[in-house]
Parts: sequence; structure tokens; C-alpha cells
Amino acid sequence: MTRRAAVASIVAAGAGFAAFGPRGPRAGGSGRVVLDYWEKWTGDEAAAMKQVVDRFNDSQSRIHVRYFITAGIDQKALIAIAGGDPPDIVGLYNYNIPLYAETGAILPLDELGSPEATGLGRYAQGVRPILTHPDRSGALRQFACPNTGGTLALYYNAGAFREAGLDPTRPPRTISELDEFAEKLDRRTTGGEYQRLGFTPTEPGWWPWAWGPYFGGTLTDAAARHATIDSPECLSAFSWIRNAAERLAPSLVSRFGAGWGGSYDSPFNAFIRGEVAMILQGPWLANVINRVNPTLDYGVAPFPIADALAPIAQAGPVGLVEADTICIPRGSKDPEAAMEFIAYTQRQPIVEFLSTKHFKSTVLASASDEFVSEHPNRGVAVHNAIAQSPRGFIASRTRQFPQIRAEMGSLMPAVWNTRQDVRGLIAKTHAAVQRLLDLEASQKARRQSAGGSGAA
Amino acid sequence: MTQRRENSAGFLWISPWILGLTAFTLLPMAMSLSYAFTDYPLLEAPIYVGWENFSRLATDPKYLHAAGRTLAYGCVVVPASTAVALVLAAMVNASPRWGRLLQAAFFLPTLVPSIAAAMIWIWLYNGKQGLINQSLSLVGMQGPNWLADASWVFPAIVLVSLWTVGHSMVVYQAAMRQVPESLYEAAALDGMGPVRRFFHVTLPMISPSILFNVVTLIIGTLQVFAIPALFSGANEGTDPQAFNFYTNELFNQAFLNGQMGYACAMAWVQLVFVLALTGLTFAASSRLVHYRGS
Repeated sequence: MTRRAAVASIVAAGAGFAAFGPRGPRAGGSGRVVLDYWEKWTGDEAAAMKQVVDRFNDSQSRIHVRYFITAGIDQKALIAIAGGDPPDIVGLYNYNIPLYAETGAILPLDELGSPEATGLGRYAQGVRPILTHPDRSGALRQFACPNTGGTLALYYNAGAFREAGLDPTRPPRTISELDEFAEKLDRRTTGGEYQRLGFTPTEPGWWPWAWGPYFGGTLTDAAARHATIDSPECLSAFSWIRNAAERLAPSLVSRFGAGWGGSYDSPFNAFIRGEVAMILQGPWLANVINRVNPTLDYGVAPFPIADALAPIAQAGPVGLVEADTICIPRGSKDPEAAMEFIAYTQRQPIVEFLSTKHFKSTVLASASDEFVSEHPNRGVAVHNAIAQSPRGFIASRTRQFPQIRAEMGSLMPAVWNTRQDVRGLIAKTHAAVQRLLDLEASQKARRQSAGGSGAA
Repeated sequence: MTQRRENSAGFLWISPWILGLTAFTLLPMAMSLSYAFTDYPLLEAPIYVGWENFSRLATDPKYLHAAGRTLAYGCVVVPASTAVALVLAAMVNASPRWGRLLQAAFFLPTLVPSIAAAMIWIWLYNGKQGLINQSLSLVGMQGPNWLADASWVFPAIVLVSLWTVGHSMVVYQAAMRQVPESLYEAAALDGMGPVRRFFHVTLPMISPSILFNVVTLIIGTLQVFAIPALFSGANEGTDPQAFNFYTNELFNQAFLNGQMGYACAMAWVQLVFVLALTGLTFAASSRLVHYRGS
């Protein structure tokens, strides 16, 4: 091939790339503003959200939202925003908010939305702190709206309760009662092997950082500057786990539960198979129950609290409140239009439609009677009550949370499996978490002294 | 055509590759080196911090654990994979009747994408319903709780890596076929049995291939990522540290914890370490590797 032909080939390739290569969103054929919405959900949950998007697109003629299922959304959004080519709307995990808010990667919604449509007052008390965070100047702002949420509660096997002589309408309310009920629900073979466990804190073991609040403790102080894992309350929580390990024998539990790992969304789920009678879980569990064992007779109650907290039980149930969030990234090409879509998703019928389809509780301050009566999770009212409780708690509001969660994830098996002193194990984790918080503080201070370096 | 015109034409032809290499490899590498000296949360502009990220590495227990685990993984997987691949290659070459079938069977796993392989292994490793423990129970053995028990995660990941030795095996097979038959005949005349012939004829003759595979294995094992990451996601109740290898820690720091500068420092330490280890391997191999005709 001659040089002329080579040059022509390269020019042709460039022209082809320009003509047919990737390009950003553009206005739809009908002149609508086209917005790209990245969301983390897949499967049935994605299909439900897609219905909401379609309804919005049909409800007006100014904006067209394109829905993209995006796995690993927090990482991809991070790169897209940093690279200056973000989606217009993004669904983030609630623990992403601190990093994104502090770095100005998501826009405050309180200037874009109206209080009636998306103001904090519309949401359940436990959900509100998830939506807010101090901005770069330290002012508390609303950075997100909830996009379905759930709270953790005690799921119990009503049939097993009856079999053990327990009243299924009277679930345990305190940790002492939980232990007492668990012992009655344990069932062993004559050889001592388990046939059923009343309760084990290791199944499913997804929230190893969330035991403290049931004993009155927290992982960090409210400003997330100091670790509080070594508090007497957290020590009580992990001592309780150690006591459970001593009573149940981890090796026997491990042998009995050999098939539980990774089996949540399957017929091998320990609770659904009746191998564990009581479990800490969220409302989404009903989705699996309805699919693989719809005849399971189960009840839902707030997770028991330490006996010392019982006198203040009337203040409301204790429980972890979680919510997926919907935000507008920095660089969104039409934040007002994006906010219009978000406001649409926050209408009560839409929230309840999506929450029902996701088997989750409501994130709103109140739920309609139809939502509760027609919800596929029979315990949805309990989950709603936890979200609305002043004693609902959320993950620590620090960008270090993923690392703190990992530290707690290492503490839990150490307490459960080893004979090492619980106080010593907690002290080690406390020090590791404090190191992370100190690192964050020093990095923030440096950035402030550098005069706020602005966006990347 | 003059030499100059010829050179120009050559450069023109490879210019797309040069552009790609510059834009997608050299430039990002240079940028990552500069970021390694900054506090860079990705969403904000980087701030120069000198050697702070590198000194932090030396005192970060999580990083040191991940680095130690990765090194241990390499120390186990490199010799084990080499041994298994050699044995399989010898076995396949020695079996004219079943050779093709065995070759296909051993090579096939290397074609399975990591994600699909991880999904398969998650089920194989299930403590109760998994094929491995079910098979062990048939012979009266109680299998471990593989991925749910932190102490079994490491051997489980090692085992998966041995499943994909097919690529090395094919290289060894080809090398073994190149060994002149006359050498085996001479060794047989000298009274060597098959085992001695393998160690004294085959191994020296295929030593360049062994060196090639060992070097690529060192590079690959020190960057292990996908299988631990996927196993971790499917076993949330297990100690996450058990799945935390060097590249996993690097990825989490960069994309989960917003510590891109720190992650870049980790990446450069990893690169220098891999280069040093590769150099050491080459240096150590000078007496062990026999190049035909040299």
C-alpha cells in the first residue's frame, strides 16, 4: 500500500469514528431535554424503576429520562463526575453521600426543589439524616432524596415459636428475652448437632457494625470525629456476641450452617428453610420468602434492645435505617429538569408503588392505609415504625464508613471465633477506626488551609 | 524508496498504536506517578503532599496485611501452578490416545471469564450443597466451610488459580515436543529411567519456557483481583480481610475510599516490586536456564 493509501485509510477511520463513534446525550427528536439516569438496581427492582421512568416520560412533554442499569455505580459515578462526563441523575448508596457532598460532587437539592415536593419534612424521621450533610462551608444541606428504603427488624418463624411453646404474637423485646427464646428454639440431635438454631448473630452477619445501638452505643460521635467503639455499651454488645458463641459453639454452628454463605436469595436461605428461627433482616427478605416459600409463617418485630434500655422503649423502636438515594451530580446538564424528575419520584403514590415492588418500607413520614394493607411484606408496619422512630439510627456519616465497616467486619469473626479478650479486640478496632477518622480530619484540614482547591 | 521515506511510512503505519500507547498507557502512568505524591480524592483537585503517601504505606496495617497475603499467594501459586502444569503437560504428551481430549479438558477453564468462573466456584465451594463437599461426604469426609470460614478462603483462592493452569500447560507441551528424540535415546542408553530422563533431559531443555511461565505467573499472581473481589461480594458475613489482596486494597482505596493519590502510590510500589522480582528471577535463572545453541 502506498503512503497515500495509508493516509487515506487513517483519515477514513477518523471520519468513521467522528460519524459513528460514541457521543453524549442530545435532545430527543421531539425537542425534549434528554437526561441520563444511572441506577444500581437490576432484575425486578430495575424493572420497577423503569416503570416509574416510563410513567414520568409519559406524564409530560418537556423532559425525557433515559434509564441505565449501572453495576458498581458508586465507582463509575465517581470516575464519571471526576472526568466531567457525569450522568444527569444518579442513584447512590447512602454511605456515598459524605464523600460526594464534601467534595461538591453532588448538588444541594434544597435550592432546586420545593419544600412541599422534596423538603426534609416529608420524610420519616430516621431517613432525614441520610439525606443531609455539611457542605464545603460546613452548612447542613440536603443533597439527596430517598429512592426506597428499609429498616432492620427481627424476623421470626411463627411455626417454630408454636412448636417451642412460645407465643408468636409476643416476640422477644429485650436481649435477655431474645436469649431465652433462642435457647428454647434451639433443636439438636441426640449427637449434639444442630437441627435448628434459635438465633445466631452470624446469620446473615451483614451488619457487624450495627450491634452497638441495640445496647445504647454508637461507632462514632455524631460529628464522626471520634470513635466510640470502646464505650461500655459497645463492649456490652460484643460481650453478648461472645456469650452467644460460648453457648452455641462456633464450630457446631459452622458445621450446621455450612451452606448458608451466599445463599440468601435462594431456597437454601437459613431462615426460609427453618434452620434459624429468628434473624435480623430488612423488608426485602419478604421478596425471597414470597418467591421460594410463600407458605412460611413468619412474624416481624423490632429487634430486641438491651434490658437497660427497656424503660425508654416507649420512645420508639430501635433499628438501623437505610435508604438508597437519588442525587444530581455536579456537571448535570440541566439540574432543574433533573430535579423535576426527582420530585416526580417523591410523590406518595410513586414512592409507595416503588417501595411495594421492592418489598421495602416507606421513606415518607406517613404511609397510606393501602400501602400497609396491600404490601407483600406482612411486617411492613413494623419497618415503617422504625423509620419514623426517633431511635432509628443510620451508618456513621463519614467518608471513611466503607473502611470502618470493613474493620467491624473483622472484629465480629474475631469475637465469635476466638477466645481473645473482647475488650482487647475492641480496643484494637477502636484504634484502627480512630486512625481513619484522624486521617480524614487531617486531610480536610490540609484542604481547608490550601484554600479549598475546588473541583477536580 | 529512500531509507528516510521508508522510516516515515513505517512510523505512519504504527502511528495509531503509538497514539494509543501514549494516550492510554504512558500518559496515565505519568499522571499516576504525579498523583502518587498528592492527596487526591478524585472529586477534588490534587494537593501535593511529597512522600507522605509512601510513608503512610509503611505504617498502614491493612495495606501491609494485603501485601503480605498477596506475597504468600504468589509464593504458593507460582511453584504449585508450575508443577501442576508440568505434570499435566507430561501426562498429555505421554498419552497419544487421550492426549487431545485431556488437552482440551485442561485448557478449557482458561477460556472461562473470571466472573463466570467465580460464580461456578462459589457454588462448588458451598459448604453444604457444593459439589466439592458433597463429593467429600461420599468418602466419609467433612469438607470445610470454604468461603464462609476466613481461614479457608486463602486455600480456596489458590485452588481456583490451579484450575487455570491450562495456558502454561500448552506452552510446556509445545516445548516438550521440541526436545530432540536423540537426547532421550542417549539418556536411555546411559540407563536413565523415565523420571531421571524428565529431570535431566526434559526440564533443562524446556527451561526457557519454564522461565517465561514463571515470570508471567509472578506478574499475574501479584495482581490477583477478580476472584477475591467476587468471592468477597458473595460472602458478606466472612471477615473481609480474608479476601483483601494487594490490588483489591488498591482498588478500594481509589474508588471506594476516595484516596486516589494513596492508591497511585500503592500501584507504583507494586510495579517496582514486580519489576524487581522479575529482574531477580532473570538474574537467578542465568545458571538454570539452558538455551539451545548457546
